[in-house]
Amino acid sequence: METLKSAFDFSDFPRLDISIAGIIAIFLLVFPLFSHSAFAMATMIQFLMFSVYGMGWNTIGGYGGQVDLGKAQYVGIGAYTTAVLLIRWNIPFWFSMPLGVCLAMAWSFIIGYPLFRLKGHYFAIATIATSLVLMDLFSVWEFVGAARGLEISPIKYHYPDFWRLIFKKDIYYYYVILGFFFVGILYVNGFRRSRLGFQLRSIRDNEEMASSLGINVHWAKIKTYAIATAFVSVVGSFHACYIKNIEPQDTMGLDLSILIALMAMLGGAGSLWGPIIGAAVLIPLKSYLKAWLGGAAGLAGIDLVIYAVIIMLISALEPRGIWGIVEKVRRRRWQ
Amino acid sequence: MALLEVLNLTKTFGGLSANQDISFSVQEGELVGIIGPNGAGKTTLFNCISGFYPVSSGKVIFNGKNITALKAHETARRGLARTFQIYAASGDLTVIENVMVGCFMRTRSRSKAQAAAEEILNEFNLTGIGDVFVGELPVAVQKRVTMATALGSGPRLLLLDEVAAGLTPNEIEEIMANIRHIHSHLGIAVMLIEHVMELVMKVSDRVMVLDYGRKIADGPPRTVAKDPEVIKAYLGERFVREHQEML
Amino acid sequence: MDILIGSLVAGVLIGMILALVALGLTIIFGVMDIVNFAHGEFLMIGMYTGLLTAQATGIDPLLTLPVAAMVGFLLGVICYYGFIKYLVRGPMVAQLLGTFGLMLFLRNLALLIFGSEDQALHRGILIGKSFDLGMGVIVPATKLAAALLSVIAFLAIWLLMNRTKTGKALTATALNARGARYMGIPTDRMNALAWGIGGASVTMAGALLVNFWSVNPFVGILFTMIAFAIVALGGFGSVPGAFFAGLVVGMIMEIPGIWDFLTYALNWDWMANVPMTSLKYTFVYLAYFIIMVLRPRGLFGWKR
Repeated sequence: METLKSAFDFSDFPRLDISIAGIIAIFLLVFPLFSHSAFAMATMIQFLMFSVYGMGWNTIGGYGGQVDLGKAQYVGIGAYTTAVLLIRWNIPFWFSMPLGVCLAMAWSFIIGYPLFRLKGHYFAIATIATSLVLMDLFSVWEFVGAARGLEISPIKYHYPDFWRLIFKKDIYYYYVILGFFFVGILYVNGFRRSRLGFQLRSIRDNEEMASSLGINVHWAKIKTYAIATAFVSVVGSFHACYIKNIEPQDTMGLDLSILIALMAMLGGAGSLWGPIIGAAVLIPLKSYLKAWLGGAAGLAGIDLVIYAVIIMLISALEPRGIWGIVEKVRRRRWQ
Repeated sequence: MALLEVLNLTKTFGGLSANQDISFSVQEGELVGIIGPNGAGKTTLFNCISGFYPVSSGKVIFNGKNITALKAHETARRGLARTFQIYAASGDLTVIENVMVGCFMRTRSRSKAQAAAEEILNEFNLTGIGDVFVGELPVAVQKRVTMATALGSGPRLLLLDEVAAGLTPNEIEEIMANIRHIHSHLGIAVMLIEHVMELVMKVSDRVMVLDYGRKIADGPPRTVAKDPEVIKAYLGERFVREHQEML
Repeated sequence: MDILIGSLVAGVLIGMILALVALGLTIIFGVMDIVNFAHGEFLMIGMYTGLLTAQATGIDPLLTLPVAAMVGFLLGVICYYGFIKYLVRGPMVAQLLGTFGLMLFLRNLALLIFGSEDQALHRGILIGKSFDLGMGVIVPATKLAAALLSVIAFLAIWLLMNRTKTGKALTATALNARGARYMGIPTDRMNALAWGIGGASVTMAGALLVNFWSVNPFVGILFTMIAFAIVALGGFGSVPGAFFAGLVVGMIMEIPGIWDFLTYALNWDWMANVPMTSLKYTFVYLAYFIIMVLRPRGLFGWKR
């Protein structure tokens, strides 16, 4: 009960933040009523998906300080579970999604146990390695379509199919992912002030100190890693139904893992709004740069060059991300 | 029955023995000071007792149970809290959040942890700065926050590692007030590593002296201060020989 | 039997080049405690340098080595003074983020300039020729020459690190940066030098590799991961470790060949159905993970 209450308790934020967040929430709710551009709609869905990815990453990476660069493997587990179950046995999304979460979490416990014996850089690289191993295995596994991947053919279903999450119009997908987005915010809001949330922040600061306060550092990290995994896997399942075409390279590749981590770090790791801000900046930037520059006159890659420059600037000048800048400005005003 | 009993504890690093055959006990509610020259093995002793280092041989019995093989977080859960010499509380957390991390060892509930933390801050005269980030505070206050955090975990024995090192007399006075509060008011047993003699001699019920990893003296502060072995350890053999009459 | 020996020889040869790739990473890590995720992109630049220099001037691709070394040295130094220097002040998270940014930057810049197609060398004295090592083992001459030149470059850098005063200053910085600064060693210059040497060694490896490996802008990440695996195996910061670990990882990459041999020797049908060639690099990643978990110091560990 107390946990539920604290999920809805935003009282420790300044009133300005809450008002802005409220306005944005209302905007997100009514956005589809005004916009008829398919491009804007697709971008918004991407933004929401990556916000939720980022929120998940933020639990272990931001609050826990464990730079995880292998989140894509869990996107893959979620996506493949949903796709395989739907294609082979016609099992709807709302059953396959929780099952995907369970599988992803189980896998996260198996590799999390050895993984968290490593620290810092070594940990980060090892997460990449595990993710690539799984991707390679999926690329040769005939049952899941090997390198060709899987395709959900929408013709078989009647639109709109709420059970299987097969829609023709993006607006339905929009509201589904928006629901996950709000649930995600509430969960992380409760998480950051829960016992585990406090323990993680203590671990991020100093592991010896944390263990002197009775915190089982290894176990706390594994638990949080599983929570982050659940977030990512849910969106992975959604991804399968939304994109309808999943390949190992797209759903489990390193690029996706990096993007998830970058999003959260750029916005501000370890803050509630950070991943959302990161996604809000990077996703539209990415799709608009691509639409404007990438498509035109053989300038493939220029969008990502600009993107990379922004990342480099942020990391060198303000390592706490965009939210770090906001807080800095705010504190200066205060004094 | 003693609260903490250490039996023939030995800790070696490679060929070097940092603690050699140390035995002692701490009674419920007692305040024991540990002194000794640099490198005498004081902090190593704390690390062995609290489970940060595995011991090479010997036994640590706490509250009647053998805790020798337990890890750091397990000893903490049994009521053995400690502070560190080299770092203070978490700089990225506010004062009250730090203390709450300690309090969360006893309860899952956030509101209970917060209430407990507020009470401790009150007792430590830190109420006004609850929402300040620890990294922004002066070292002396950081050290007090560290003690408050350790206290938050509700220990029966508190190991304090050089909480007064490098502080001004005024600050030492404040720390001393906090230690006295923990000891006499809350009745928690304390072990205290300290170089500031004035503090150790004033607050301790008993003082233990380590030198080269061995225990060379153990007794009331006044007796220990006069012990020739102790003086030799601190001032050197030659000094003792040449100033025999003075002592 | 010749399949097996052939695989092992191929593993050793590629391993010699990979050792040079990993050398750059281990020097930079040893001196600065920073992991350069753009390392493979340096290699990619080395490959393009070798390719384009050879195409533009018509000299033999193997002789482009000095050009690649110069480009790599400059690249490393520019990256250090222009970017890394500011990055290392921040926390580890920012360092990871930053070198990732660098990786994306170099990769996509290459995409912008060179396009996404595979490019390969077609002209050269040794290209198309092969060398008979006896016992039925025939290796491409380019591979053999590249491997031998790699060993020479590796030794040259190793001597530079161990026999010269500058090299010793570099090692001192690696062991204890603050101590080195107190002894009057200009650590900032040493860091830049480490990036320069690290960059030069990996671009040289790239120029050698391009003799028998086609290049595209995305080739980097594979070699970054391979280099990480080697450095993990050899011990972070250890130069001799990098060499031996390079050979081991070269062998790991030839597991499919060894598998073929076993399939043939044991004559088990199910073995033939395992798509081993697609899993060539999987073993490298797996090796990194297993080595790190079981032996965090690496097999020849020196630092940490």
